[in-house]
Amino acid sequence: MGEHPVRLIVADDLRRGHGSSFFRMWFALPLVLWLAIWSVVAFLVALANWLLTLVLGRSPAPLHAFLSRYVRFTTHIYAYMNLAAEPLPNFDGKPGYPIDLEIDPPAPQRRLSVLLRIVLALPALLIAGALLGSNFALSSTTFNEGGLIGAVVLLGWFVAVLLGRMPHGLRDAIAYAISYGAQTWAYLLLLTDRYPSSDPQSALRGLPIRSDPVSMRVNDDLRRSRLTVFFRLPLCFVHLVWLTLWAILAYVLSILSWLVTLFEGHAPNGFHRFLAAFVRYQCQVYAYLFVIAGPFPGFTGSSGYPIDLMIAPRARQNRWTVLVRLVLVIPALVITAAYVQLLLIVGVLGWFVSLITGRMPQGLRNAGALALRYSAQTTAYLFLLTDVYPYAGPTAEAQQTEVVPELVVPDPIAPIA
Amino acid sequence: MSVSGDAHRGALQRTMLTGGLLAAAALWLFCAHLLWRSSVPANLHLPHVDPRTFFSRAFLHRSFTYERFLDLEGLFASVTLLVVLVLYARHGQRLMSESAAGRIGTGMMLGMLGFAVVWLAQVPFGLLEVWWERRHHVSHQGYVSSVFESFFSLGGKFLFVCLALAVAMGLAGLTRRWWWALAAPVFVGLALLFTFLGVYLIPGTHAPSDAYVRTDERTLARIEGIPHTKVVVQDVHRFTTAPNAESVGFGPTRALILWDTLLDGRFDRREVDVVMAHELGHISHRHQLKRVGWLALFLIPLAALIALVTRRRGGMARPEAVPLALLVFVAAGVFAAPLQNIVSRREEAEADYSALRATRDPQAARDLFVKLARTSMADPNPPSWSYVLYADHPTIVQRIAMVDAWQALQSQ
Repeated sequence: MGEHPVRLIVADDLRRGHGSSFFRMWFALPLVLWLAIWSVVAFLVALANWLLTLVLGRSPAPLHAFLSRYVRFTTHIYAYMNLAAEPLPNFDGKPGYPIDLEIDPPAPQRRLSVLLRIVLALPALLIAGALLGSNFALSSTTFNEGGLIGAVVLLGWFVAVLLGRMPHGLRDAIAYAISYGAQTWAYLLLLTDRYPSSDPQSALRGLPIRSDPVSMRVNDDLRRSRLTVFFRLPLCFVHLVWLTLWAILAYVLSILSWLVTLFEGHAPNGFHRFLAAFVRYQCQVYAYLFVIAGPFPGFTGSSGYPIDLMIAPRARQNRWTVLVRLVLVIPALVITAAYVQLLLIVGVLGWFVSLITGRMPQGLRNAGALALRYSAQTTAYLFLLTDVYPYAGPTAEAQQTEVVPELVVPDPIAPIA
Repeated sequence: MSVSGDAHRGALQRTMLTGGLLAAAALWLFCAHLLWRSSVPANLHLPHVDPRTFFSRAFLHRSFTYERFLDLEGLFASVTLLVVLVLYARHGQRLMSESAAGRIGTGMMLGMLGFAVVWLAQVPFGLLEVWWERRHHVSHQGYVSSVFESFFSLGGKFLFVCLALAVAMGLAGLTRRWWWALAAPVFVGLALLFTFLGVYLIPGTHAPSDAYVRTDERTLARIEGIPHTKVVVQDVHRFTTAPNAESVGFGPTRALILWDTLLDGRFDRREVDVVMAHELGHISHRHQLKRVGWLALFLIPLAALIALVTRRRGGMARPEAVPLALLVFVAAGVFAAPLQNIVSRREEAEADYSALRATRDPQAARDLFVKLARTSMADPNPPSWSYVLYADHPTIVQRIAMVDAWQALQSQ
């Protein structure tokens, strides 16, 4: 399958003005008012476009151009308000903004898909709600009404105001959410009949290849057994009980590890291995529960699972960050909560699709993997397995990331004798 | 020399094996005899009771139809269960590719999937049962909720399956052929543990709101020689209108569980007292422990049988043996059900007798049994095949006959 007809282009240099970041909402107010007026017109045009596309089998060029511009303008505003870009956007929705959209010209569309577009868009709206919050779509019943973007912007705003720079990971997480939102709007407004892709790998070009101490390796073939998918929840029950028992011990050990790390500068090797195995096991269980992976996981947290975590050996850590780790982890926990919301929706949708087709869509799998990777990085950071802060954005495909297996790497701080 | 020596050694081994088996059988019979003992007088003669004395012809006809339908449905369900498990035993090992969990984990997954497949096959029968019970106003559970509840309860069942398989496969990995001799005591120990903790595993329980329940239970427990027995009420009225009670635990955890449907006003105080005395009878005669004893008696040969049968799949240490083990285990349960019913009926009769001695109220017992039959739509006098296959309590007619027999004994 080729490129998506609606593509996000990121040409942002991550620099932010302290003042413009601080007053971002006020600066955006005229744009929001203009968007509201434009939305009324766009709604009427969308209705006409729906009828004409239903008759002609293709969106008429003038209507397509108008609605494309509307979606692009919405994208600019979302990018500006959510600190994904710095300059104030123009009011005309013309291309050239640092976070921009490329939308292909009108193409033939299946009439049945046009007729049922609102119904077909419901799953996409659920995901969009998890990414962009309840203002965008259908997630008003969920606990995190701001979605992933709300959680990320909350943290990003402080960083941008203080440092005058947006962290790469946070910007990419916002861009990923905006990209999905734009594709959903484009699908709803009949600019394309291609379903929105939740795949973070294909949402943004030029994703960074990172070598974080906690990274994910995806080696899953997307094939799912319908039988094990249908019974996924009860099959997981034994793992959830085991995980709970393990978690009790892990939390106790993490406290001891914190004390030792505070004095020694690094965690005891045995504690590190135990907690690493726990984090890996937790990731595997959730991957299985939410249909992100196919096979039934083992109970020991050993490597080799299709959705697997690579955790680097223990390394020396800054004692100050160890001391205040519980405070430092709070923003990451807020983002994790938003990612968990995404994971839940991915799990439910993936369950239905896998049950019907015997295959997990790659986009859903990768979105779930991203959520799992971030929450695993957060747990690892909390458990002092690393002092590298969790990376919120998507990264280049994990298979491409060269990660040295944990067991063959010599412990850099182990005594020589 | 070597040929005759081998023959001699072979004969010796055969003799020892036969002797060992005979000794084991003798020990088994001795233990069964100990467990079989009952406080019901052996010379108690149950008089003939005509069900028409207590029930209208219409009720007898309705209860007969009601129960025979359920019996036949149960029979079909059992046959389906066995057919599904035979197919699973033949093809289930293909699902091993769905696991990345190692030897024991894969075995656990196959065990769970076996029960999952069984659940799927039993769903139509479950729905049929709900429909039939709703039609006869015995249950008002919804169809969807019945399916969902049974689906979610699979999690708990799976937990037990995994525990059992972890023990069996873990021991089989260590000892290969003799795992069953070690696993059976472990299972019996676990059964003992769960029996002991039974009261804490039952959901939706609370203290009885009727003051008489507590005072009468205390009095009856004292009479039966088991003071300080706890009594709790379980909320089941959302699912069923059928009344019931059970006794759980032993020693300090012994408790009496009354369904709230028993206390909804359809049964008067004297009848509730008979129910409580019956359940206390179970506790005072240590039926919970006896059941564990019977379990041990059946489990040891069954575990040996599973070990023998699964050898062709590499033994219980191998995950591919699990579907076959599952078939043997469930089939043994199905075929041993009539034997279990015999034991259960004997214990229930003893509890009835105990209740009569404690309450000394035969009329209340008689009224209770009649009401129980009416509210549960129980056939007072089922045909022999149904009695043998499904009756884990004496029939209503037999229970009323015991009341008459007890009364006659008292008047002598």
